[in-house]
Amino acid sequence: MAPTDDDVRLHILRELIASGTAPSVRRTGAALGVSESDASAAYERLAANRVIVLQPGTRDVLMAAPLSAVPTPHVVRTADGRSHYGNCVWDALGVIAMLGMDGEVETVCSDCDSSLRLTVRGGSLEPSDAVVHFAVPAARWWENIIFT
Amino acid sequence: MLLFRSEEHVRRWCDTRGLQQGAVFTPDQMWMVAKPWHGRRLEQGWRRFTPDEAESVFASAGLTGPFWQLGISRGQSP
Repeated sequence: MAPTDDDVRLHILRELIASGTAPSVRRTGAALGVSESDASAAYERLAANRVIVLQPGTRDVLMAAPLSAVPTPHVVRTADGRSHYGNCVWDALGVIAMLGMDGEVETVCSDCDSSLRLTVRGGSLEPSDAVVHFAVPAARWWENIIFT
Repeated sequence: MLLFRSEEHVRRWCDTRGLQQGAVFTPDQMWMVAKPWHGRRLEQGWRRFTPDEAESVFASAGLTGPFWQLGISRGQSP
């Protein structure tokens, strides 16, 4: 049976988790046994449906939520010793939720650059004095998903 | 969406950029949203929430009001 877009989505996520690198359409096609053009079309459909975000003008993955394919200030360190990048603090916590293990988010205060850390242990977030700020209302997030 | 040391730092950051302050809430509320939002992404057949489901997740974390409403165009959630 031909792989579905969901298979492609999962392949991208699993590769990002395992290697820290998002697979190219060629690698995804080879891994799933489909042509590069079919894999490319799947990437475009996933992007059109806001499941992944591509680098502008390319078919290179920028975001496969909750993971970022490029370094960000939101570093996730999980109990298995791996580290990942979240697209934002929400997504960074989402990486921990997705992987279902303890972890820490290391980031900085966007105002003063001081280090901030959020820790999840046993499924609960440890108390923190930090605050989260969304600048853009939910209905407008996708006008510019890079800045919310 | 960004993390700040305190609400005072949010105000200063917004003032510096000439931005209106948006929604400020706690990391625990963010965690309450992140768990259902992202927790099942590695499951086969995962799908994005509908707008109604998304608003329900926000509300379950105490995030209500116009800022968290997804508007009249309800085709897709964020």
